[in-house]
Amino acid sequence: MKKMLGKIIASTRMKSPWILHFDCGSCNGCDIEVLACLTPVYDIERFGMVNVGNPMHADILLVTGTVNHRNKKVLTNLYDQMPAPKVVIAIGACGLSGGIFRDAYNVVGGVDRVIPVDVYVPGCPAKPEAIIDGAVLALKKFEVLRQQKLAV
Amino acid sequence: MSNTIIAIIIGFLVAPLVGGLISGLDRIITARLQGRIGPPVWQAFYDVIKLMSKESMVVNVWQAFCAYAYVSAAAIAVVLFFLKSDLLLILFIQAVGAVFLVVGALSSTSPYSQVGAHRELLQILAYEPLIILVIAGIYLETGSFKISAIYDWNQPLIFKLPFLFVALGYALTIKLRKSPFDLSTSHHGHQELVKGVLTDYSGPYLALIEIGHWYDVVLLLGFCSLFWATGAVGMLALLALTYFAEILIDNVTARMTWRWMLGYVWAMGFTLCSVNLIWVILG
Amino acid sequence: MAEIIFLLIVVPFIAALGCLLFRIQFIRASIIIICAGLLMGGSLFLIPMIPFAYSPGSFFGVNIHEILQGADFLLLLIIFYFGIKHKNLVIQALSIFQAVMLGYLEFFLSDGGGHDVVFYCDHLSLILVLIICIIGSIICLQAIPYMKNHEAHLKIAVSRQPGFFFVMLLFLGGMNGVVLANDMKFLYFFFEVTTLCSFLLIGHDKTERATRNAVRALWMNSIGGAAFVSGLVYLYVKLGMLDMQNIIHTTPQAGIIVLPMALLCFASFTKSAQFPFQSWLLGAMVAPTPVSALLHSSTMVKVGVYLVLRIAPAIQGMFLSQCITVFGAFTFLAGAALAVGQSNGKKVLAYSTISNLGLIFACAGVNTSEAITAAIILIIFHAVSKALLFLCVGTIEQHIESRNIEDMRGLYTRMPLTALITVMGVITMIMPPFGLLLGKWMAMEAAARSFFGIIMIAMGSALTVMYWARWAGILMSDPFAGKFKLERQPVLTWFALISLSLGAASLSVVSPWIYKLGIIPAMGKDYLSSYALDFGILENSFGVFAVLPLSLVAVFGFLIAVLAVKGATRSRIVMPYLSGVQTSEPRVFRGPMNQNVIAEAGNYYLSSIFGETRLTAWINIGAVILLTLVIGGAL
Repeated sequence: MKKMLGKIIASTRMKSPWILHFDCGSCNGCDIEVLACLTPVYDIERFGMVNVGNPMHADILLVTGTVNHRNKKVLTNLYDQMPAPKVVIAIGACGLSGGIFRDAYNVVGGVDRVIPVDVYVPGCPAKPEAIIDGAVLALKKFEVLRQQKLAV
Repeated sequence: MSNTIIAIIIGFLVAPLVGGLISGLDRIITARLQGRIGPPVWQAFYDVIKLMSKESMVVNVWQAFCAYAYVSAAAIAVVLFFLKSDLLLILFIQAVGAVFLVVGALSSTSPYSQVGAHRELLQILAYEPLIILVIAGIYLETGSFKISAIYDWNQPLIFKLPFLFVALGYALTIKLRKSPFDLSTSHHGHQELVKGVLTDYSGPYLALIEIGHWYDVVLLLGFCSLFWATGAVGMLALLALTYFAEILIDNVTARMTWRWMLGYVWAMGFTLCSVNLIWVILG
Repeated sequence: MAEIIFLLIVVPFIAALGCLLFRIQFIRASIIIICAGLLMGGSLFLIPMIPFAYSPGSFFGVNIHEILQGADFLLLLIIFYFGIKHKNLVIQALSIFQAVMLGYLEFFLSDGGGHDVVFYCDHLSLILVLIICIIGSIICLQAIPYMKNHEAHLKIAVSRQPGFFFVMLLFLGGMNGVVLANDMKFLYFFFEVTTLCSFLLIGHDKTERATRNAVRALWMNSIGGAAFVSGLVYLYVKLGMLDMQNIIHTTPQAGIIVLPMALLCFASFTKSAQFPFQSWLLGAMVAPTPVSALLHSSTMVKVGVYLVLRIAPAIQGMFLSQCITVFGAFTFLAGAALAVGQSNGKKVLAYSTISNLGLIFACAGVNTSEAITAAIILIIFHAVSKALLFLCVGTIEQHIESRNIEDMRGLYTRMPLTALITVMGVITMIMPPFGLLLGKWMAMEAAARSFFGIIMIAMGSALTVMYWARWAGILMSDPFAGKFKLERQPVLTWFALISLSLGAASLSVVSPWIYKLGIIPAMGKDYLSSYALDFGILENSFGVFAVLPLSLVAVFGFLIAVLAVKGATRSRIVMPYLSGVQTSEPRVFRGPMNQNVIAEAGNYYLSSIFGETRLTAWINIGAVILLTLVIGGAL
């Protein structure tokens, strides 16, 4: 019984990942690509993915752009307000490492300097296909998280 | 007695399933209207089960109270509908749910919730009198507030109460959170109020509210079904047509302000209701 | 019988004198508590005795009608004195007018009286007596700690409490007199007693504003008194008697009775502060809160609706009755609309009272069995819930020193139990299965055939939901982790709040039996009883309200929700969403230059639509037109 319930939960998590998109100081290149995923061409709602505006409803945090000293607190705040289980996807060169801005005086660096990142999607900007691919990878992480929790 | 139990079971268990299925279909049709494929038809259930399994997280413990109160009130209203009880009573019980949704949102200090709650109140202000007048019109025509008597009426009410049906359509659009009236919260992601009344609900509590919404959808379609109660085919056709019209309106209109909503719905709604009521009283 | 009438009417007068004479706090409190106990007991003893008629010939050897004559003129003299003292010509003129009319009635028309039954108590009177004695007493008890705080807060050296409680107890006796009197001359006397008590209590604080408002209340109510006494003279001239029961049940001709009935309705409208006379009730909110609770919500304003319900059988089917429906429904809508525009808690309560009384008038006007049932149910439950809410606001006001709703934001963290009781009070006002909603449901079903009536009631009902829901909501508005620290309040305050809130809830559960045992007999033979009672379900030919099953479901749902709250205290508590810039303080976010900024969100009061300054004039004009219709239709 419990096992079946777990299976159902696991499968629904795969089928209904809600995404919070946070622009952490991106040049808007990656943001446009993220939003392109919603358009009829890519239509990520096919996979049950919804772009929500609020961390409290989100399962996946999608971060574009570099982290700087001003908004690193915002990033952690958003991350804290997400209910577990949650995964983080860093998108684009800037999100991964700080990109061309990494040496700027106000820049902390990639997203993983502030919060744990599960999936890295490279590109400048990242292609929508790559972003969707990253999101699908992130879904697998949910299963890993569930197994970990069961093991504990 | 056995009829009562069956009605309770249908109202309590089958109704939300139907509601969830309808919202799945709604999303598919919406997607098709936008040239997309859309999610699977069971998507609404995946969402709710997922939300149920998430971490329980609250801003204020009274949110939990309000979420449970909302879903129970919505469920009781639907059960009473299937028990063919009193229309006005059902409306009042449904209103309990709506009020608790507002109270729950007000219990958070976030301005998004607060403003959303007040917009929700304005929505209640806009649609509730219309539904009361629709019910009054049904009473004037059939001589009863009891659904059992209304379902036994010998001809479809829509022929005698067409304007009231349109007025009910306004209420339906507001209650289903469709554009142009999706002020307090909407099914779609971003809006100026984030998620309005639902902003600070999360995980299991959000799931409960979604289930409550399914009950509400069934209840409102139940109200619509009163207008063609003489045959199942006619009733289903009317409901399908009405719901499709709702989706169409949702997709071709933009969200408007509450001032516009209040002015427009009251002006149009009360005119329609008055005309139809006078018609029934004189006829 | 004599004893019980004595207990209900005269004992409060004696206790009132006791309060005035013994100026020691402890003795005064004891007198009040004993008097409250006697009244509660007395009202319960009344239950097995009804219906009865009782005409005392003399009182301590003096003819009771002579006593009444003397008291009447004394009362008018006192009112005239206040008219001179406050240099108000209207009061002077009206009191002289009343004295002249009364003199004409007493000395030229009547032969000293004594033919009419003086006191008559049926189920309707009983219901009102129970409300007055039980709720009124509870409010008086709560007033003891309240007034102590009140005077400490105002730093008054010589306590004015003896005078205060003198009038309060006097008022209870006067109210019992109003509802028990059958001879309309007695009714008029007690009617004027309540007017005078109201004047004295509103002006109790002796500030300039209090005096001004008290004078306004006096002249407005004097208009009602003048209308009342004119109606009496007219009735006596035409019928030669002033026996209420006789007049109602042996209607000779509709044409004769309609004008005096319209005048009595007019008097009722002033007493119940219907538009355009609402301003005295709003002004009365300057009085200490127990006064607002006792006079201006649960008892005195009910005199008006009581009177109209009394005469309702006589005006059944008349145009006058229809006019009252429209007028009442209009007041219901207008009161609710003005309440939406208010952020002052006591004013919201005042407008809501006016609005609810309007609904009761509308029911009385519809004048069918269902409508009268609705009216009586509304009277009972409105008295309990509104008294509770007034006492809550009073308690809150003394604690946070504001009666503004905005200042009650997150009150739960400061005064958890009072906030919960207030929310409970609000819930009993607007939600099924509680009694007020049962009444409103009956009212709507009864008024559905009245075109203007139902439209205005539908709009008013939605507005009502709006102003109550937002108030209840913000009381809980603060991140709260579930630690419950009870605030400190005097025992009598807790007694009043808890007994009223439990009373509101439990009375609702037994409302079907209240209907069966109290209201059906109260409607008597004038109306056929409409609803059948079955397993606690009220049902008639066109409607059904499952009171008991729904109450059980509500209790069950409440328990589940409470368990959910308990469960939620174990879950993770996060700050509300503030676009990711929240701090560890609720409603504070990190703004520019790393400075903390407070995110403020106020309630919508929609003052551009529902503001007092914007609407009042129009509403008064509308009300005057409708009132002209009521009186003009009768002519």
